[in-house]
Amino acid sequence: MTAPAVQNNPRDTYRWSSRAFVLPGLLIVAVMLYLPFVWTSYLSFTEYDGLGDPELVGLDKYQAMFTDAGFLVSLRNTLLWVLGTLVFPVGIGLLVAVLADGIKGSFWYRLPFLLPYAISGVAVGVIWTFILQTGGALDEALTFLNVPGDRPRWLLDAPLNTFVMIIASTWQAAGVNALLFGIGLQSIPKEPIEAARMDGASGWTLFRTMTWPMLAPLTTVVVGLSIVGSLKQFDIIWAMTQGGPGTSSETLALTMYKETFVNNDYGLGAAVAVFLTVVTVAASIMYLRRQLSDKKEI
Amino acid sequence: MKRNSVMGIGATASLALILAACSGSDGGDSGGGDNEDVTLGFFTDKAAWESSFDAMNEVSGEHGMTLDFTGYSDQTAFDSFVKQSFRTDSVPDLFTWHTGGELADLVDEGLVAETTDLWAEAEENGLVPDGLIDNYTYDGKQYCVPLNVAYWPVYYNIELFEQYDLDVPETWDELMQVADVLVENGEVPFHQMNMIFEFVWFQAMLAGNSPEVYEGLQTGDASYTDPEVVEVMEQWKQMIDDGYFIDPGVTTDPQALLANGDVAMAYFGTFFTGQLTDVGAEAGEDYGVFTMPNMNPEVENRQMILETSPLCVGAGSENEEAALEYSAWWMTNEAQNTWSADRGDVSFNPNVDVADPTLSALVDEVNSEESGFTIQQRYLEATPVPIYSVASEIFGEFVTNAPDPMPGLERLQAEAEDYWAGQE
Amino acid sequence: MADRIRKAILIVLGLLWLMPVYLIIANAAKTDDEYGSTSAWKPAGISGLMDNIANAWDRGGLGEGVASTGLYSIVAPVIAVLIGAGVGFAIVALKLRRGFLWFVLIFSATVFPLQMILMPLFIGYVEFGLYDSRVGMILVYTVISVPFAAFVMRNFFTGVAHQVFEAAVVDGASTWRIFWRIYLPMSTSALVAIFILQATLIWNDLLLGLTLTQSSETRPVMTALAALQSTYGGSTMPTVLAGGLLVSLPTVVLFLLAQRAFTRGLSLGQF
Repeated sequence: MTAPAVQNNPRDTYRWSSRAFVLPGLLIVAVMLYLPFVWTSYLSFTEYDGLGDPELVGLDKYQAMFTDAGFLVSLRNTLLWVLGTLVFPVGIGLLVAVLADGIKGSFWYRLPFLLPYAISGVAVGVIWTFILQTGGALDEALTFLNVPGDRPRWLLDAPLNTFVMIIASTWQAAGVNALLFGIGLQSIPKEPIEAARMDGASGWTLFRTMTWPMLAPLTTVVVGLSIVGSLKQFDIIWAMTQGGPGTSSETLALTMYKETFVNNDYGLGAAVAVFLTVVTVAASIMYLRRQLSDKKEI
Repeated sequence: MKRNSVMGIGATASLALILAACSGSDGGDSGGGDNEDVTLGFFTDKAAWESSFDAMNEVSGEHGMTLDFTGYSDQTAFDSFVKQSFRTDSVPDLFTWHTGGELADLVDEGLVAETTDLWAEAEENGLVPDGLIDNYTYDGKQYCVPLNVAYWPVYYNIELFEQYDLDVPETWDELMQVADVLVENGEVPFHQMNMIFEFVWFQAMLAGNSPEVYEGLQTGDASYTDPEVVEVMEQWKQMIDDGYFIDPGVTTDPQALLANGDVAMAYFGTFFTGQLTDVGAEAGEDYGVFTMPNMNPEVENRQMILETSPLCVGAGSENEEAALEYSAWWMTNEAQNTWSADRGDVSFNPNVDVADPTLSALVDEVNSEESGFTIQQRYLEATPVPIYSVASEIFGEFVTNAPDPMPGLERLQAEAEDYWAGQE
Repeated sequence: MADRIRKAILIVLGLLWLMPVYLIIANAAKTDDEYGSTSAWKPAGISGLMDNIANAWDRGGLGEGVASTGLYSIVAPVIAVLIGAGVGFAIVALKLRRGFLWFVLIFSATVFPLQMILMPLFIGYVEFGLYDSRVGMILVYTVISVPFAAFVMRNFFTGVAHQVFEAAVVDGASTWRIFWRIYLPMSTSALVAIFILQATLIWNDLLLGLTLTQSSETRPVMTALAALQSTYGGSTMPTVLAGGLLVSLPTVVLFLLAQRAFTRGLSLGQF
């Protein structure tokens, strides 16, 4: 039970205590997140409208999903969200963290980026709709700045509407990424960097050869969370366009929600959810495996 | 080693806080005092109306019944919550719902208590207008009682009408002339939205172009590709192309748009009056209402869309009897006078006088014999859910970009045929 | 010199970021009349702000939800952070067998879209008497915070040299003691960061609150705020914005207060 002798493989020495440490987390996650998901997976093989009992229909719902024209639009938009999220919230978060790192009062420079995260989703949805609506704050600003040309209809024309919503989500999420990157930068030992600097490395070269590799653990966190977050992005789209006009800005998360709760087709909604989950798990495992491979034995 | 304690990391660390949490949640049931009094669990998606239900409690409390209000603002979350609650032992005593297919679903599953007796009594006492009962009848029996009703007239900005010397239109042609004048002067005649209420102009125009087809679509007896429907869509497209409607990208509240004159007219249910009051607009002073003229002058009766939401009793709920009693009380003059006064809205009960002069005139006009209005159900409730969900997509896109209507109508008809085939 | 350029870029970007915040404040401070008639960018004084806040507070009944929301957003992240740190500790320091697999399993739980687990959770909660209880809410908020906490802590601990652990073992410390006395204190910055991010997330949660509670004693504040903005007879935009601003204040204050904790934690974090 307790550590008998130090020379043993630590893995055996701490077999029981390591299990005890991991158990609470594993247990609640399994019961409260995996179990419901199993129920959802079961529903994806059924016809169910939320009332009475589900009725097994085999793979019908998956067939219906893949043959639906709207599904492809959702898939495309979801992909846009993943790519967009990696470029903007992650990119800008990193930029802000690197710029603010080590300067006096860096917290205060990072604060404007963090504030949006603290603002409630309702207010965020309201204010961005307000900015982007036809003749809204953005159009007014562009007119004031004498920008020529017709104003696009930001939230109506696809795929522009998806793009501007990614910007809105960048506004909300970049600060958190900057914060996480900031923690990463702080935990990087200063000596090697100083040594490299002595050797004449600076700026971009220094960042690329020294800082970036050492930032890897935190990059893994940020990118991993961003991929997952973008795949299930829901709140901002629901608040701003509800996936419309038509289905032009729908993502898989919205399709799933609409099929289930608006159209009462629980089976189809569950099928989309299962598909979305498989994609997300596959994406994160592929990503994590590559990033964490050197520490895999841990 | 103290391995055992590892399991309790969380618990130990914040034991005090958890205890605080537990002790906080014990004050739930406040039935209290008189054991005749009953508190009914009440769930609604009309969260913004909480204060009006408080006002109702003041009055119903004298009869020993009060509602314990839980409001949802997200309608989809609310709908699924109610449905799922029937799987558990916390069936809601009372809840608001939607007429049409959504209520039919609950009735089919035997989830709502029958109210046939309550309706018979209410009709006998003249508490409900003729025809309202149709919204609540399934296989000859009634379920739920009306929570409220809303008529769908056109609200207009009086200042703009005076500025351009416009009269309230009585025919479709006059309505179009008014719109033309407004467009020529750089004003925007009509409000419309590409979500939630994307269907309303379709509803108004089709009901006025061919009430038979409007009704036929609700039963599968008419087709979305019928010439009457195509005419409506082409007219609608023409109006959008001619700049009759505000760009749906403008998402400012419709009440603000109308009150400020950003749009001259807005076609809405009478619940819109409350929203106009909120922004300080006054009936007869700042805005007025008129009934939507028929698009086809040949149609004999004028058409009025009536929206009603039901107040339902969960079958087998804890206080089912008391909840039915409350439902009966809800239709009485006493209850409806309180409701109408607090909300400043119309009541279905013909004995209730609406304080608002504009609404009162509207109700009188619609209910008078000589004006000969035909009451129609709102498109949203009258259309089966699967068809409606495709329709809302197509109309949302149509409002936004006004494409050629035929592909959309064909898709809609295909969905409708699918649905009606499954009903045989 | 380089510092100056960096500061300049940060200030420009920061100002850009603050513009929507400015728009929220400026428009939350307008009366309904002013809101309708002035440009979004033009401030119209702050005459309307107090009225709008009072209006949102009363109409939305925001007061009722604040206490329970506060409780949830403090207790749940604390528990989650500790559980997550435990997971990270087990995998990294104690070299848990098949640690990567367990880690992926816990992390993958974040991928389930919350909307999909609502209904099963609701049924389970009613079944086990957790529905509409504060304990139930704390539990569910803890659960949704654990994967993130485990993810960050696992990666944070990988940055800690394993010699730290070995040295402590040689000193005769128990694993529990090493966890509590060495690993937790040196990861303050990460712990505080996770706590704050998750506390904010929970404070702003709407879906779970709507689904799993019904009485005013247990309902979080966001359900009340959302009710202000609904199709049928919702409030006007300035009131909604004022309400949104008001309920955002605690989280903003939390970020400000955390500034010192961040700095202190960061300096300790350098092993």
